[in-house]
Amino acid sequence: MASSAANTGSAKPLLQFTPFSSTVQPAFWHELTNLKIDVLRLSQDAIPIHASYSIGRAVVDRETGMEVALGCNLVVSGDAFKDPKDVKPAPNSVTVRGVLKNFNTIEDFKNVNKQEMFNNTAKEMWAKTLQTGDPSHLFDFLLITFADLKKYKYYYWFAFPAFAASPPWEKQGEWAPAVDVVPIKGLEAIHKAIHSGGSDSSIAAALLAKPSANDPTAYETAPLNKFSDFFAGTPGEKRFVVFPDPSAHSQHVGWPLRNILTYILFNHHQTAAISPSSPLNIIAWRDIDTPSSSSHPPKSLYIKAYVPSLPDTSAVPAAVGWEKNPAGKLGPRMADLAPMMDPKRLADQAV
Amino acid sequence: AVRDILSPVLRESKFKEHGRITPEEFVAAGDFLAYKFPVWTWEKADPSKTRDFLPADKQFLLTRGVPCLRRATSLAYTDADEDAERMVSVDPSSTNKEDEWVETHAGRPPPIHHNPHDISDIPDADDHDSDHGHHTSSVSKHMAKLSISGAPAAHIPDIDDIPDMEEEGLEGDVDDAAAAPTATSGPSAATEEGKNTNLLSVRTYDVMITYDKHYQTPRIWLYGYDENRRPLKPEQIFEDVSAEHAYKTVTIEQFPHSSLQAASVHPCKHAEVMKKVIERFNAHVLDEQRKANGGLAPPSPAASKGAKEPSKKGWLGGALRKVTGGTSPSTEKTPEPTGTPGAEFVDDSVEGMRVDFYLVVFLKFIASIVPTIEVDSTAAF
Repeated sequence: MASSAANTGSAKPLLQFTPFSSTVQPAFWHELTNLKIDVLRLSQDAIPIHASYSIGRAVVDRETGMEVALGCNLVVSGDAFKDPKDVKPAPNSVTVRGVLKNFNTIEDFKNVNKQEMFNNTAKEMWAKTLQTGDPSHLFDFLLITFADLKKYKYYYWFAFPAFAASPPWEKQGEWAPAVDVVPIKGLEAIHKAIHSGGSDSSIAAALLAKPSANDPTAYETAPLNKFSDFFAGTPGEKRFVVFPDPSAHSQHVGWPLRNILTYILFNHHQTAAISPSSPLNIIAWRDIDTPSSSSHPPKSLYIKAYVPSLPDTSAVPAAVGWEKNPAGKLGPRMADLAPMMDPKRLADQAV
Repeated sequence: AVRDILSPVLRESKFKEHGRITPEEFVAAGDFLAYKFPVWTWEKADPSKTRDFLPADKQFLLTRGVPCLRRATSLAYTDADEDAERMVSVDPSSTNKEDEWVETHAGRPPPIHHNPHDISDIPDADDHDSDHGHHTSSVSKHMAKLSISGAPAAHIPDIDDIPDMEEEGLEGDVDDAAAAPTATSGPSAATEEGKNTNLLSVRTYDVMITYDKHYQTPRIWLYGYDENRRPLKPEQIFEDVSAEHAYKTVTIEQFPHSSLQAASVHPCKHAEVMKKVIERFNAHVLDEQRKANGGLAPPSPAASKGAKEPSKKGWLGGALRKVTGGTSPSTEKTPEPTGTPGAEFVDDSVEGMRVDFYLVVFLKFIASIVPTIEVDSTAAF
């Protein structure tokens, strides 16, 4: 591990991504418990679930005046088992789909071939998305669980498969305010498009923007899968790929961008023609309120990024993305809900 | 809970007289809160736990992932009154008013000596008349108790409980494109400037507001996660509750609209406190309204703009103008509360605080009980 730290030095200005951090609401464990008892029983079949991530938030620490970036969170709520169409999404959030596999015993949970499960998920994402050109499965995730119902303990492990570009994406320059390159009016148009572009009233996970031919301060937008049509004839410096960024970190953007970039690279490489001399313009969207010059100064960031050489677009790239546990290791997490669910413990709590 | 079910629903509002509100007013105030601060959303209850005095799709208000940067116990917050003072000092005509609201606790050094009168205006649940100077010591007693009872379990992750299945070989090559974990506790800007911020462990809370039929006030519920997003234990939640209230007014109870347990601030004194806070706030609002009426003509075209251009007057300015008779989107959206006490005032153009504002004021009061949880959405962005 020490050598890896040395490798990540400043030799190459790599574009880096903040991995997702899973946040499981207690209502989800509650629903899983009910499902296990009433429906699943001993079934270990995969169940479709959904989750959401929202635009990253930063808060000002009132004691120090510093801005503190909150985590890059993927939230799984008690509604996860319902059809996403029947669920009101959390404000400013993108709904993503996933698969839950619940195991009956801790041994099954431990011994299952995780590499194989992960690879199958990634393969499926590749087949559904990158082979068909439909980006709606770019952000699928995998969740494996074991519920110790007697002890109210839930063991779980998330995977957020991301296709790793090889060679990896590099930055040209540093992250800068998006308002430096897109006028306020353009940012307003993008904001509007993000909020109307999602399905099921959630926000769009990614979109494309370019200045309008007639009025360079006005911006036109299109969904991600229209990349080749929308950007045909648009010079590289006027093409913008925008995504709501779950990270609020000043240097690292959120995990979803990885697969967006892979998608562009593999599905639209002819139009994109990405090279060090023709980088891709990326806007990490971080504005929750409509950006305006007076009341809500825009917070979104902008960067140019490129791959040094095009990967072999016929081969499926490797994927990574198991979530690390609180100790920073690849391993499962555990939620202990006994203090909040166990009737015995609650009786002790009551004074 | 039985009392809650047996209590008749409050129909007539006199929220300025006793601090209580009707379910209709709760909905109106909730609509306003959710409109003004979209982090708050109305939620449905579990079908079996829907209360019929509220619309089915407006059973309670929810906001998720509310940050809590440090422990209240570490700050020794004791002077709840200061928040109320701040609120009264808000001046909608000053340019920087938004900041004033934001910085309710800003830059406050930990109190060195304790003024017993500090909290006399915010009645305490149990010990109105006791010597408040002892609070700090009672907290340390609580803390001492904590560290004895739950010493190893409270903070150290239950590593032993997690099956030993670290899988080193799982992801072969080192993934350089994945950012090294900065941990939620590592605020980027701060660490770059060389400040020691490692001590911050950012917890988050899901915060719910329900309507308590017995006490006829809103009631606040908290569900917390630690910096690794594991559910907080009750004793950990109490670390985020101000000294006067931990283990007294804050308890773990069944959340009324689902099957989960959550920490809740007991509402038995809410009406009394709200009455006092509203009185002050109302006096201030009236003052502003009279000024507005006396000076310039009522700014009707500007009033509708007011809410949209918080930069000029701040959101409060916009809202205040709305109160003076302007039309803003929220007025259209918000159902007219029944029995809005306008008639109590001789000057009928001066109406004072409207009940729509109740929850905004309520959250300011709650912020004094959980000072480090940023429940006051006016400060969130």
